[in-house]
Amino acid sequence: MAERVRCVSPVGIAKPVGLHPLAPRLDRLDGKNICLSICGEPDITIPLEKRLKNDYPGVNWTLKKTYGINPVRLSEEEIKTTDALIQGVAW
Amino acid sequence: MWGQLPYAADLEKAGVPTVVIDFEDQNNMVMEECLRQGVPGIRHIHASRTLAGPEDVDRMIGPIVQALTSPLIDKEKGAGLWEPNANRIIFEGTMDEAEEFFNQTEWVPHPVNAPIAKFTDGLPVTIPTEARVAKMLKGTSHRPDELVTCQEDADDRAKGEPVLFHPMNWTATVEKVAACAVMAGCRPEYLPVVLAIAESGCYIASTHTFGQWLCVSGPIAKEIGMNSGCGMLGPGSIANSSIGRTYEIMARNLGGAIPGVNRMTSIGSPFEGSRCCAENADALPPGWKGLNEERGFPKDESIVLVIPHVNDGIRGVQFSPGGYRALQKSGHGGMARRLGVKGKPGPHNWLEYILPELWACREGSHSIVMVPEMARHLYEFGFKSKEAVYEWLWKKSFMPLKQYRNFSWVDLSTNGWMGIEHTSGKPWKELPDDYMVPAGGFDPSFFCIIVGGGDEEVSHQLSSHRHLNKDPFFSIDKWR
Repeated sequence: MAERVRCVSPVGIAKPVGLHPLAPRLDRLDGKNICLSICGEPDITIPLEKRLKNDYPGVNWTLKKTYGINPVRLSEEEIKTTDALIQGVAW
Repeated sequence: MWGQLPYAADLEKAGVPTVVIDFEDQNNMVMEECLRQGVPGIRHIHASRTLAGPEDVDRMIGPIVQALTSPLIDKEKGAGLWEPNANRIIFEGTMDEAEEFFNQTEWVPHPVNAPIAKFTDGLPVTIPTEARVAKMLKGTSHRPDELVTCQEDADDRAKGEPVLFHPMNWTATVEKVAACAVMAGCRPEYLPVVLAIAESGCYIASTHTFGQWLCVSGPIAKEIGMNSGCGMLGPGSIANSSIGRTYEIMARNLGGAIPGVNRMTSIGSPFEGSRCCAENADALPPGWKGLNEERGFPKDESIVLVIPHVNDGIRGVQFSPGGYRALQKSGHGGMARRLGVKGKPGPHNWLEYILPELWACREGSHSIVMVPEMARHLYEFGFKSKEAVYEWLWKKSFMPLKQYRNFSWVDLSTNGWMGIEHTSGKPWKELPDDYMVPAGGFDPSFFCIIVGGGDEEVSHQLSSHRHLNKDPFFSIDKWR
């Protein structure tokens, strides 16, 4: 009978992760404060900003913008008054 | 996903609905990152890599609005705890069965569309039996159950901080690193080097052609029989090859890195292998410090550099060896013509010859590997320290802003030209076209010289050792 071996796991230790539900969605867009958070890709984000403002004039659009890869975060105060956020483009 | 997914997850947890725009090939990565951030299933829309922006926005605008307004489905309302398997023993059975187990693959869909190894770098490994791992652990005084932590303070880490392995930010014990060392074919005496490499967290990010290579400096290189001579970054040396291989095996196992899922190097790189060499400290010209001393370690302390290699290529075939010798011996040939020293014997500054190429297509500083003879020529020419070479290279990199604007990466590094130019302290947009800016990186210390290799006159120029703005030096002796 072949000898049996026990093998040490090389796999890293992952902490258990507490899972959260998504935030409830909006019932409508009109009258809401929605932030467009831009990271680079102006070919997409410039026409996206124009189109959103044009198609949804009833929304109070706010903008956070960087050319880099880490978004400019909303402050704690801004989060309290922001109803939703569009994050683009993630890469 | 850099900072975008963690940000979206934080907002979802705070009750702010989000939608993320990404690319289709990054779907696997987004899903995994959402789970890691504790909000599985963050809604995301795929942008096109090829459609013009307005056309792409036409396509996306409806789904974006829907993602913000469409009521949650049951699985999006779920909460709970994700607990990964944490058993110390991963497999028990015969050796044949163990080989089958460790050589398992998993199908990775687009953008890979191929089976990918679950535990290895794709090559057969030595099975990490308890007995073999116990033997490997004799190579260090650290306890098997000790968590791998940072061994000293540095710019980007604090002593005692647990090392988080990239990309999943998992942690590891010394025993797990030893298991990876067994799998890579290491001998116990290599383990302190492997533990020092582990301290780096085995970073693998970037969607571009990204890899790493490793260079050992200090007495341990000779103690364990590393090759710092001919072919030091090539095959043949068990120490060089197996130590280099641990990087990938650790990235796969300790960091959970999977091609096409959470490591997205589009083409990949031969340096993802990874390769390890040693500095030839005995061949340094007088006054030139070893890598350990350059970083402030004592000459008798052993260290390893974990050097990122990005998509700016590997240069190193600019001149024929005979052409190099003709330059230095008698001032003949093409190199002498370019340098304007025809008929004049050396020493000549051969770096002049490669300058036009260094910043031809991309800005940035470089790690320059050179054989001992070429280092000696630079010394005889007048560079009495490595720092003098770094200073010369950096000053030579200055170019008019008008020219600097024509690189691609600078749009990103200047934050779309909204940032501050660091040599003047002024906003980029206020500087005139003829303002001279350094293409050779932040300052001269971003250059690095590694002396090693054989007798044939060759130099490689690769990415800066500080390309990621991380401190790439790790003490090996702390892990003995």
